[in-house]
Amino acid sequence: MGVALVAALAGRLGRGVYLVAAVPPAAAVVAGAVVAPDVLAGRVLTESHAWAGSLGLEVQLRLDAFALLMVALVSGVGVLVFLYATQYFAGGARRHATFAATLLGFSGAMLGLVLSDNALLLFVFWELTSATSYLLIGTDDRRPEARGAALHAYLVTGGGGLALLAGLVLLGQQAGTTTISGLVADPPTGPLAEAGLVLVLLGAFTKSAQVPFIAWLPGAMAAPTPVSAYLHSATMVKAGIYLIARLAPAFATSSTVWRPLVLTVGVLTMLAGGRRALRQHDLKRLLAYGTVGQLGFLVVLLGAGTPEATFAGCLLLVAHAAFKATLFMGVGIVDHQAHTRDLRRLSDLRRALPGLFAVMIGAGVSMAGLPPLLGFLAKEEAFAALREGGQTLVLAGVVVGSALTVAYTARLLVDGFLRVRSGPDVVGPGAVARPSWAFVAPAAALTVGSLAAGVFPQLVDGLVNAAALALDPAWEGYTLALWHGFTPELALSGVTLAGGLAIWRLAGRTGRLALPELPGGGEVFESGVHALQVGAARLTGVLQNGSLPLYLSVISLTVVSVPGVVLLTRGARLALPDLAANAVQGLVVVVIVVAAVIAAGTGRRFAAVLFLGAIGYGVAVLFVIQGAPDLALTQFLFETLSLVVFVLVLRHLPDRFAIRPPGTFRLFRAVVATAVGVFVAGFALVVVQARTAPSVGREYLDLALPEAEGRNVVNTILVDFRGLDTLGEITVLIVAALGVTSLVAVARQRRRGHETAAREPELEEAGA
Amino acid sequence: MRALVPLPLVLPLVAAALTLVAHGRLRVQRAISLVALTATTAIAVALLALVERDGPAVVTIGGWARGIGIAYVADLLSALFLTVAMATVLCVLAFAVGQLRAVQESRYFHPLYLVLTAGVAGSFLSGDIFHLFVTFEVMLLASYVLLTQSGDDGQVRPAMTYVVVNLLSSTLFLTAVALLYGATGTLDMAALGDRVADLPPAVREALRLLFFLVFGIKAALFPLFFWLPDSYPTAPTSVTAVFAGLLTKVGVYAILRTQTVVFGVGDGSPDGFILVVAGATMLVGVLGAIAQDDVKRILSFHIVSQVGYMVFGIGLGTRAGLAATILFVVHHIPVKTALFLVGGLVEETTGSGALRRVGGLGRRMPAVAALFAPGALSLAGIPPFSGFFPKLALVQAGLAGGQYAIVAVSIVVSLFTLFSMTKIWAGVFWGDPEEPPPLARAREDGPLRPPRLMTAATVGLVAVTLGIAVSAGPLFDLALRAADPLLQAGAGR
Repeated sequence: MGVALVAALAGRLGRGVYLVAAVPPAAAVVAGAVVAPDVLAGRVLTESHAWAGSLGLEVQLRLDAFALLMVALVSGVGVLVFLYATQYFAGGARRHATFAATLLGFSGAMLGLVLSDNALLLFVFWELTSATSYLLIGTDDRRPEARGAALHAYLVTGGGGLALLAGLVLLGQQAGTTTISGLVADPPTGPLAEAGLVLVLLGAFTKSAQVPFIAWLPGAMAAPTPVSAYLHSATMVKAGIYLIARLAPAFATSSTVWRPLVLTVGVLTMLAGGRRALRQHDLKRLLAYGTVGQLGFLVVLLGAGTPEATFAGCLLLVAHAAFKATLFMGVGIVDHQAHTRDLRRLSDLRRALPGLFAVMIGAGVSMAGLPPLLGFLAKEEAFAALREGGQTLVLAGVVVGSALTVAYTARLLVDGFLRVRSGPDVVGPGAVARPSWAFVAPAAALTVGSLAAGVFPQLVDGLVNAAALALDPAWEGYTLALWHGFTPELALSGVTLAGGLAIWRLAGRTGRLALPELPGGGEVFESGVHALQVGAARLTGVLQNGSLPLYLSVISLTVVSVPGVVLLTRGARLALPDLAANAVQGLVVVVIVVAAVIAAGTGRRFAAVLFLGAIGYGVAVLFVIQGAPDLALTQFLFETLSLVVFVLVLRHLPDRFAIRPPGTFRLFRAVVATAVGVFVAGFALVVVQARTAPSVGREYLDLALPEAEGRNVVNTILVDFRGLDTLGEITVLIVAALGVTSLVAVARQRRRGHETAAREPELEEAGA
Repeated sequence: MRALVPLPLVLPLVAAALTLVAHGRLRVQRAISLVALTATTAIAVALLALVERDGPAVVTIGGWARGIGIAYVADLLSALFLTVAMATVLCVLAFAVGQLRAVQESRYFHPLYLVLTAGVAGSFLSGDIFHLFVTFEVMLLASYVLLTQSGDDGQVRPAMTYVVVNLLSSTLFLTAVALLYGATGTLDMAALGDRVADLPPAVREALRLLFFLVFGIKAALFPLFFWLPDSYPTAPTSVTAVFAGLLTKVGVYAILRTQTVVFGVGDGSPDGFILVVAGATMLVGVLGAIAQDDVKRILSFHIVSQVGYMVFGIGLGTRAGLAATILFVVHHIPVKTALFLVGGLVEETTGSGALRRVGGLGRRMPAVAALFAPGALSLAGIPPFSGFFPKLALVQAGLAGGQYAIVAVSIVVSLFTLFSMTKIWAGVFWGDPEEPPPLARAREDGPLRPPRLMTAATVGLVAVTLGIAVSAGPLFDLALRAADPLLQAGAGR
């Protein structure tokens, strides 16, 4: 993956950068081939590095035969896609380097995903594929639909990814291990494990575009074709399938939810995808929905958890990667040469692109599951596995789904390439330039491979058998063959073919299938996002309304009420103290209270300041009466100084407060203020009565003269015992002074009109 | 070694005085700030290394016995936070020098910035609850002035909100300290833990909640956070960035420290009230972010949302939960700051951070896009970036503690966070501006070049976040060890 950086640096190479980018996947293919004999023989290669062990996340890599099969697909198709990209992007200024680096980064993440044995490491790569695919789908970032599709894909797969994380953590905690091999070897059971499994499946379903999350995948066709061919056929969408395949053999039997959930979702997806594919005019979207359908098929096979189905699934995995990448590349070529991929505008394409047509037939036949291609073998095995497994209902669904596959294949090949049309918009064969051989070659290579594997199954036999064995140790092995004689599966294939062609004719005639449309398309996503935004805006508008008095009220009430309620309900003990030890105290308290009420109620600034001062002096008198002259002296000094400062500032301010709130709000303020006052006073009485240990104040009194050598204990505290506090407070004062100076300087630069607004904060600073 | 402990407070304060003396000579001021903050960062690293080797270091200022004088305590937790904070402060200093116009910078920026740093450092190191109040004040006063400093018209009103709310919260803090002192007769946090344990349960619980909420105002918890998104986005980016990265986190630190050491949270049982507040904070914060269409405003709301995650770990009350919170703070300080710096780069080159007025910058400033992506994914907790690890730790701790609801909330909030990050990405780096950007050079086509020093500062901070991701394992182990002394009330300090 570090090579992604190298590719990014190779910006000057232009399109050549794709060739550079093809090197790492090619290297992976070679490396895979080197270790293949060992791995196919059943050896498992592992590697382990520390990362975040106490979180259960380690770099634990594991290469078994199934991982090898995935590596071959991911890297093999990767090489071909990079070769294809050199031609696809011919002409046109693009940011090739960024694009190639992102694609390569994706490829690396995908490799990491299939090689991870640590479930959390798998999640890391899983999210990386989501993030890079967001960037890749949004490559044409100036088109709103590309941005929208990227977001849709990312939020659905990203959301699923988060569910996956929670699921993996739950499973891991139940099993006591975070390795996939460990999970599978000893699958945890119980309600928490089941919940974890459902969450994991949710993640897998979103990633592999299963019902009800299918809509993002066709939307993702806004990406350039190399991306679609790679991500949305062969790799990223296979991540979910991969995870299901890994877990199925263990959990299909240990869990009660796994099999019903996986089989239902898979069959429904296969039907929904096939049916929608049939209604598309855009060839790329047709393939996209086709992919959805095939992914459903794969979920059924690899999720069923029986050795036979697993084997069929592995076979279909290979077949699908080959034919779907080919078909996407082919449609990309059509788009590139004819500047449209709307089949209503294409006429007699086989004459314009005969070579490509041959390639497409090959891939299409494989997709439809017809002999002698690999797809046929896969489908036969699938039918057999489901029939022998006794899954009749599932089998029926899969047969119908396969018929739909035949139908949309016919639509692709016949309606797309053979039809002769006329009309103003139609692009005739003359208007379509011949593609270079290099453009068609990657697709052709895959078709030839697919054909060869169909005719000589022994080419893939070893790999697929070993892969199935790696997934499920119960797999006994099986020799593939093109011809098995007249079996029930052959009959089912016949039914599929005939049914498929009939559906295609019918759909072509009526223009649509008389089936109700299920919700779950892009509209649901879009209205969901819209609702979220509107709701968020509304909530924020209410809460965040910009009113400072309201903020202050909410803060005061919250801070007071929560502890207040605890005090009241948990029965804090409060004995009424002596309210006044002597008459003078009582008199002073009355003065303080009256002054406080007037200070709060007055509309004049000067009066407010004077009465605040009166409160302060009153408290100082109380200190004197209580026998604390040091404290009283400090208080007197402070009050006098503040009064002087206030008076100096007030000279510059209007006599009255600028704004008088309306009566109801003043009442509300009075309530808040009273609540705070009562709380603080009450709580103060409670805490003092609750004290068990002597206060440090006693020690200060004892130490003041002998140790700190001062007679005024307040002074010794300020400059000696807690001198650092004083340093801090001095700093605070200096900073406040700086603030005032700087505001005054700003205010001077300003015109007269803004005077009041600028000076309000000065008062605050002075008060601080 | 013990002599080092108060230095992170003293050094910036002395430097602040020096820069004040050098007022009017920007070069000298810059040199002083740079040297002082580099030295402070180095001291923080040294403290972390020493504490890791020898255990906590306690210094009582003035040589008084503990409890009489003010204790400064460097333990793993404070040294770790201090290190991250100082490194961040240093990067932002470089960014600010690159960004601020000379007239802005000359308006006491350097002394104020240094005082702010001293306040932050003092808050982390103080082992005395009243001194914590003082260091908070030092930090806040500097922040008031920094916020109003450039004194533009639009800035005075939001600054008013900030100043007034914080004055209220300081008053409440002081009241809370007075009540705590009234109940226990001491201000030293280690002694407080023991004495609080002897109080009647109702009083103990009421004091605990009072402190939680008082610090909750500073940390911007629901429903106490409304002041933050109103005031942060208006300041110059370098100021907002350091506020965003540090100030609320000092509040979180204070909650973490006092709830555990003083009030005994962390005995393994979850605290329902804290968890509810955490959930609401996460959710309301992220919904606020979704409703915005300006980079700095979106990011400001995310501060709130992310603080919810941090408090979530505290509410779990387990070792794993506290360690997750610690790791979360360590990751969050540089990431959040870096994101604001990226927002600043965008504003600097285009003149606006409004999503309508910028666009397509991925084509024109790919480097800035590349700086944004790791931070954005980090914020959403997407691997392999730094935010993933604390989130993973929280999810694990939450599920292990059986707190499914809050885990579900945190996961949904993650998705919403991702959504709002894609909103910034699509609005800033993709597409085309709907309205022309304010700056003329941004209206023409072709590559844009953000100022070099600002970019370098941002790169530095992003590198820190990537480093956190790479060394997440050792860091989490460190966080676990830092959480240990918090677990038994009164045992730590």
